[in-house]
Amino acid sequence: MPADPNMKILVVDDMSTMRRIVKNILKQLGFNNLEEAENGQEALTKLKADTYGFVVSDWNMPVMMGIDMLRAIRADEKLKKIPVLMVTAEAQKENLMEAVQAGVSNYVVKPFTAETMQEKISKIFK
Amino acid sequence: MAQSRPAAKAKDAMDDEEPTEVAPDTKLYEELGELARFIDTTMKTLSEFSVPVSASSEQLPQAQTHLLNLKTQTEQGTHRVMMEVESIQDNHVHVGKMLKELTHALQQANVAPNLIQQVQKITQDLNKDDKRLLDIMTALSFQDLVAQSVNKLVTILDEVEHKLLQLVVVFGPYQKQAAKNDQGKANEMLKQLEATKNTSMNQDLADEILKQFGFN
Repeated sequence: MPADPNMKILVVDDMSTMRRIVKNILKQLGFNNLEEAENGQEALTKLKADTYGFVVSDWNMPVMMGIDMLRAIRADEKLKKIPVLMVTAEAQKENLMEAVQAGVSNYVVKPFTAETMQEKISKIFK
Repeated sequence: MAQSRPAAKAKDAMDDEEPTEVAPDTKLYEELGELARFIDTTMKTLSEFSVPVSASSEQLPQAQTHLLNLKTQTEQGTHRVMMEVESIQDNHVHVGKMLKELTHALQQANVAPNLIQQVQKITQDLNKDDKRLLDIMTALSFQDLVAQSVNKLVTILDEVEHKLLQLVVVFGPYQKQAAKNDQGKANEMLKQLEATKNTSMNQDLADEILKQFGFN
């Protein structure tokens, strides 16, 4: 199923610069319905309060880490089908394995290019 | 006075032991003296140590502040560049629309085809610049990596400061080994920094692993 350009996307990162970069790339890819959250906890609150089609999240964040948020999403009956793309500097194989086990939809290692993100989104929504 | 046989025997024995009894006392006094001198010298050395160690500990919060300022400055600078990039991107969208309208108008007016081609060439160049602008945006993600490293360094400094203050309190150059062996947060952060340097994956490797899990 191709990605719906109108779907609401949640960008989760504690760094404002990264949120802006990811949002900019998503805009250039044609997605304009973008929301943001600073950590996993805030993201979960937003996800439960509204309908989102896609989550792009960092790993290492205060309050609630991205991996914990991912587990919480997969454990929630209402949220568990939302695709989650991890965009992270946590570049150890163990991190990737942990994310796969937690149910990540795909994984982008920082620093990344717009092409990489586009490719991963295409794969998730193919 | 005549001595009884056992008493005489005991005296003989004491006379025999006399030289060996004096020697340990002397040796003990000498060792105690040496120990006292060692303690004195050590105390002086330690008191000399404690001042620079204390001073270093006091400098660490400043170093932390500098690092956090560095993070803030890179964040602000990055946002400034992003703002300019976004302005150019918005402008490009506007110019792109105008060029599209111009091309349409030229086609309607039936003007020379090379003029229309020139306008289309301008549109293509504009699109190439859009790609470059997006590359600038993604290149700015360096700031996130810098910020994460700074955060880890601040945590390490915090722990080092704590340890140094402990050393000052307990005169602890002798504690160095213990501090080295400590499995505190700073150690963990240092390991993380080292691990990131040595074993971090690139996207190709990540993709290879993902492929093994059925991500195509």
